[in-house]
Amino acid sequence: METLGFLMEGFAVALTPYNLMFALLGAFAGTLIGCMPGLGPANGVAILIPLAFTLGLPPETAMILLTSVYAGAMYGGRISSILLNIPGDEPAMMTCLDGYPMARKGRAADALAISAIASFSGGLIGTVGLIMLAPVLAKFALSFGPAEYFALFLLAFATLGGITGKNPMKTVIAATLGIMISTVGIDISTGTQRYTFGVLELYEGIDFILAIVGLFAISELLFFVESRMGRGREKVSVGKLTLSFRELVSTIPTQLRGGVLGFISGVLPGAGASLGSFISYTLEKQVLGKKGKFGEGDIRGVVAPEAGNNGASSGALVPMLTLGVPGSGTTAVLLAMLISLNITPGPLMFTQNADIVWGVIAALLIGNVLLLLLNIPLVGVFVRLLSVPPMYLLPIVTMVAFVGIYSISNSTFDLYFMVAFGVVGYFLRKLEIPVVPIILGLLLGPEMEKNLGHALVLSDGDWGILWASTLAKSFWLVAGLSLLLPYLVGPLLRRRMNAAMQENPVSD
Amino acid sequence: MTALGDRILGLGLMVLAVAYGWVAQQWPEPFGGAETVGPETFPTILAVVLVAGGIYLMIKPDPDAQWPLGKSTLELVVSLLVLVVYAMLLEPLGFIISTTLAVGTLSWRMGANPRSAFVTGLISALVVFVLFNYGLSLNLPAGLLEVN
Repeated sequence: METLGFLMEGFAVALTPYNLMFALLGAFAGTLIGCMPGLGPANGVAILIPLAFTLGLPPETAMILLTSVYAGAMYGGRISSILLNIPGDEPAMMTCLDGYPMARKGRAADALAISAIASFSGGLIGTVGLIMLAPVLAKFALSFGPAEYFALFLLAFATLGGITGKNPMKTVIAATLGIMISTVGIDISTGTQRYTFGVLELYEGIDFILAIVGLFAISELLFFVESRMGRGREKVSVGKLTLSFRELVSTIPTQLRGGVLGFISGVLPGAGASLGSFISYTLEKQVLGKKGKFGEGDIRGVVAPEAGNNGASSGALVPMLTLGVPGSGTTAVLLAMLISLNITPGPLMFTQNADIVWGVIAALLIGNVLLLLLNIPLVGVFVRLLSVPPMYLLPIVTMVAFVGIYSISNSTFDLYFMVAFGVVGYFLRKLEIPVVPIILGLLLGPEMEKNLGHALVLSDGDWGILWASTLAKSFWLVAGLSLLLPYLVGPLLRRRMNAAMQENPVSD
Repeated sequence: MTALGDRILGLGLMVLAVAYGWVAQQWPEPFGGAETVGPETFPTILAVVLVAGGIYLMIKPDPDAQWPLGKSTLELVVSLLVLVVYAMLLEPLGFIISTTLAVGTLSWRMGANPRSAFVTGLISALVVFVLFNYGLSLNLPAGLLEVN
C-alpha cells in the first residue's frame, strides 16, 4: 500500500505538463535512435546526457527524459529488424527471425503494429515487476555494509560480460582500465594528487561523460567509416494493416510469457535484454512446437522477443535503481546521469530522492502508453527517417555530440579528450575489449575504493572482512562462477543462438 | 590464424600496469600517517590485476580481427583529422562555418556527393545553431559571423 502511495506521488511528478512534454520528446527521440542502425540505446542516451545537462533540467525531468529515450529505443530497435533485417540494437536481433519474413510476405505493417503492442505489454509487465520488486530489494540492500558493497561491485563487473560473453578475461581487463581512469585526480580521502602530472584539467579527474560519448559515439563513427556502410540498405515497403482482432487476441499468452521472462532476465545480473528476447523466443518455440511456423514469419515469433526485450529493459532498471549497480550498457549510462546530478544511487535513493525514483517509474508507465500511441500512427514517419542514409546521419550525430560536450564547459580541451577516447574505443573494440565495463569501471571505481577503505577501517586493517559475511561470500562465489561459466556454458549457448539466427547478419 | 593483436595489447597493458603501479608507490605518505588503505592501495591492486590480464592475453590470445588496410586506413585518418580540426576551428571560425565544413567533409568521405554533403552540413549547422542559441539560450560561438 505504501508503494501505491509513492507511485501516486510519482505520477504527480511525471504528469506535470513540463515533465510530460519531456517524456514525449524522449519517447520520440528514443524511437528514432533505436531504429537507426548503428545507433543503439546506450549510444543515444549517452549523446543526450550533455544536452540534458546544459539545458539545466531539474534532476527528475532529466531522468524522465532519459528513461523515456531508453524505453523508446527499445521500441525503435524492432523497426529496422523487421524492414531491413538488420537489428537496430542487439536485443532486437531475435525480432529479425520472424519479423523480416513477415515483411517479405507483405505483412510489414502487421508486424510493426503487433510488435509495438507486444513491446507495450512487455514494458508494462516489466514496469509492474519493477514497482513490486524494487522497494523490497532496496530495503534489503540497506543492510549491506561496505564489504558487501565491495563484493557486489565485483559481482557487477564479473557478470557484465554475460554468460554469452566471449572472453571474460577481456571484461576484467576493460573494467580494470575503467577503474584506473577513475583514479586520476585528487584522492577524496587523503588529498593526494594521483596521476595528474601537474595538468590542471586533470585535478578534478576525467569527466565520465566525455569518456562515454567518446567511447560510444566517436568510435561508432570510425567503425562506419571503416566499413563504408554509408549508403544504407534497401528496405521492404510497409503496405496496409491487415491485422485482425482475433489474431491480436491469440498472441496475448505469448505476450504475457515473453514479458515475464524478459523481466526476470533483465533483473538478473549479466543476462540483459538480449538474453531476455532470446529466451522468450526459444520458449515460445518450445511451447507451441509444431503448431507455429517459426522462422517463416509467425506472428508469435515477432511478439515473443519484443515482449521479452521490453520486459527486460524495465527489469534492468531494478539493480540500477536499488543497488546503484547497472547490469547493461544503457543502464550504466543512466547511472552516469544520476551521478552527475549529484544523486547517490543505491537503496537510500528510495528514501532520500523518492520523488525522482517514483517519478521515473511513473514516467516509464506513461512512456509506454505514449510509445504505443506514437508508434502505431507514426510508424510511417519513423520508416521514412530510417531511409536517411548513415552517411548524412552519423556526421550530424557526431556534431550533436560535439555541441553537447562543448556546451557543458565551453572548452575545446574536452573535445580533444573526447576524440582521444573515441580513438582508444575504436582500437579496444577492434581487439574485442568491450567498452561497457570501462564505463562501469569509471562510474563505480570511486565508490569501490571508498567502500574498500571503509571496510578496512571497520576491521582495523584485516582484509578478511571482505569475505567475512555470508552475503559477501555468496557475492564472491557468484562473481567467480560468472567468470568461469562462459568457458563452460558460453560456447553451447552461443552455438544455439547462432543456429537460431541461421544466415541472418548480426550487427555488432 | 595469427594472434598478434592480442599479444601486442597484452604487452602494452603490462607496461601500462607496471608504470601505473610504480607511480603509485612514489606518492608521499599522506598527512596524518599511513593507514591500511592509503591513496596507493587501490591503484596497486588494480596494477596487479592488469598485469595478470596482460599476461593472460599474451599466453592465450584470441585470433586477430580484420584490420583496415590501405584506403580504409587513410579514410579513418582523414575522419580523425576532421574531428580534431573541427575542435580547433570551432571557436575561431564560429559554429556555423566550422560545422558546415566538418559535417560536409565527413559525409562526403562517407560516400555522399560533395554538393549534397555540404548542403546537409550547412542546414544541420543552421538548425542546431538556431535551436541552441534561441531555443535553448545556450551560446555557441558565432566566430566570424558575429554581429554586434
